[in-house]
Amino acid sequence: MTRVLVVDDEPQILRALRTSLRGAGYDVETAESAEQALAALAANPPDAVVLDLVLPDGSGTEVTRELRTWSSAPVIVLSVVGDETEKIAALDAGADDYVTKPFGIDELLARLRAALRRVDAPTEPVVEVGGLRIDLEKRAVSVDGKPVQLTPHEFALLRVLAQNPGKLLTHATLLREVWGRGYGDESHYLHVYVSQLRRKLEEDPARPRYILTEPGAGYRLAAPS
Amino acid sequence: MRTRAELLVGVLASAGVVVLVSAVVALLKPHVPVLSLGALYVLAVLPVAILWGTALAAVVSVASMLVFNWFFLPPIHSFHLRESQNWLALAIYLVIAFTVSALAARARARREDAEQRRAEAHALAEAALDLLRGRTLDEELGRLAALTAGVLGVEGARLELGKQPPLAEERALPVEAGLRCVATLFVDEEATVDEAVQRRFLPSLAALLAVAVERSRLEAEALEAEALRRSDALKTALLRAVSHDLRSPLTAILASADALASPGLALEPEDRLALAETIRSETTRLDRVVEQLLDLSRLEAGAAEPHRELWSVDELVGQALSGLGADATRVRVEIGPETPPVEVDAAQVERVLANLLDNALHYSPAGSGVLVRAEPGATELRLHVVDRGPGLPPEEREALFQPFRRGTEGRRGSGLGLSIARGFAEANGGRLWAQDDPGGGHLVLALPLAERPAAVRT
Repeated sequence: MTRVLVVDDEPQILRALRTSLRGAGYDVETAESAEQALAALAANPPDAVVLDLVLPDGSGTEVTRELRTWSSAPVIVLSVVGDETEKIAALDAGADDYVTKPFGIDELLARLRAALRRVDAPTEPVVEVGGLRIDLEKRAVSVDGKPVQLTPHEFALLRVLAQNPGKLLTHATLLREVWGRGYGDESHYLHVYVSQLRRKLEEDPARPRYILTEPGAGYRLAAPS
Repeated sequence: MRTRAELLVGVLASAGVVVLVSAVVALLKPHVPVLSLGALYVLAVLPVAILWGTALAAVVSVASMLVFNWFFLPPIHSFHLRESQNWLALAIYLVIAFTVSALAARARARREDAEQRRAEAHALAEAALDLLRGRTLDEELGRLAALTAGVLGVEGARLELGKQPPLAEERALPVEAGLRCVATLFVDEEATVDEAVQRRFLPSLAALLAVAVERSRLEAEALEAEALRRSDALKTALLRAVSHDLRSPLTAILASADALASPGLALEPEDRLALAETIRSETTRLDRVVEQLLDLSRLEAGAAEPHRELWSVDELVGQALSGLGADATRVRVEIGPETPPVEVDAAQVERVLANLLDNALHYSPAGSGVLVRAEPGATELRLHVVDRGPGLPPEEREALFQPFRRGTEGRRGSGLGLSIARGFAEANGGRLWAQDDPGGGHLVLALPLAERPAAVRT
């Protein structure tokens, strides 16, 4: 059975999530503080973590950073509007995705399923999302069977997204992966390249189907079909 | 300017000293050659020169020589002189008298000038001190005007910032630093002001005032910036706190309702019951947050006008306890039978007590209780609410009452309760603070005692 650790200091939220996740077939463990969370993670490593951003004795970001030093179990953070900075910090620290409170349980379950699936599936040399086909080995991209010419930077950007299909990648992560260290703050580069990519790949760049925007956080490639 | 009266006094005094010196000469005449005694008249000229100036001193010098000639030099009672060298002696005495009186008058003028400058320096130093003491500039203008009037030797003066037109029967003197007119000094139209003093003193005053004006402008700007910053910080804190306090229960409610409604989830009957209970309790909590926000906005809008009446403390505490439900059994109450009544708005003070008890119970370790103790004083009644929780270090105690406190340690909850409690306590003429207590949390609510009518007091 898949084990999920749920960390939140609100007992009522914890209770609702525990009941719902158990009902969905997960084995659920709970923690109410960063300290409890780290202890639980070390004692009995879960397959995934649902983690509140603000904890009484620390932040979800710190827990994520600590966890990432030895585990790649997916982390989904629970954030609220107004905690954007903290949310980005958690994602940069290695969290996989987020849901904003208050969230529907279906949304959380969907994110959780997607994150767990990414862990199970090894990176394929060929990623297909709808009509978009990305061959990472041959560096070939096509839409609906028609090949698309990309510049090296455009391809580098698409490759990072394709290696993490469905996963939210923050601006900082993308910049670092594509342009290297020292470009963490220059999000406008990113916006320019994303808009170029969309013009080449998307049917309607204003309503993208492949490269999705997470406002204020980053981009993600739509989950593979 | 010499007045007629001063001149008259001068003349009479001069005549007096001449008579006095003449008497001394008459007394000494049998023992000393009379001609040499003429030098004594310098003693008459000197005080006159110092006190009334050279003009009168010259008159006194001539008069002295005439008196000396008339009364003491042979032939007596005549201005003739038997021996011609006596003319020379008289002439020499006259020259000495003139010279001495001129020197004395100059010394006097110098001393006056020095005194004037010292007064000016003193006035400036005092003005600088006043302006630096941090009171507002407007308050100081009156004092500065009085100081300036003293220095300029006029009856009174009025000082206004900037270039201002004079009122009727006033003369305006610009107080200028360089080309900039910092202020305007108004003196009586008739008053005479020493030009030199005015040229010397007013620019120094202007320089001082210019610095003070600049300083008060900067202070005002800093205050404004600080107020803006605070209100910004407060708004941000408000948004975050409201966001958290409203969203947490909403999250629990939505997740529970979703789970109940979701056909895909396998839920046991007791799970369904637990989810329903969560929805119920979180709705109550949400309602309480909304009520607190309303309380707070009423307090901030000044709309919490207390309706103060005489109330016994037992009743107020009792009402607050009845709102606590099952938790009320954890509260021990010590209110003596002699405890006097307080004059407060019952509903508001109950809210204060409810929030204090809520807070104390929240921080009390499970199993331990909360104590409410009344301590009557001379003018106020103190209610101590004591818990056995962790307490707070002194530096964090005041922050307890800040609205929307949410510490850097990520401590949850908005802390609205205590901030509202203090607001209501103060609206009722009371006070609320955290007291040092090694045993745990200790909050003190001081409420004003009822002012009993004199007839009842006996």
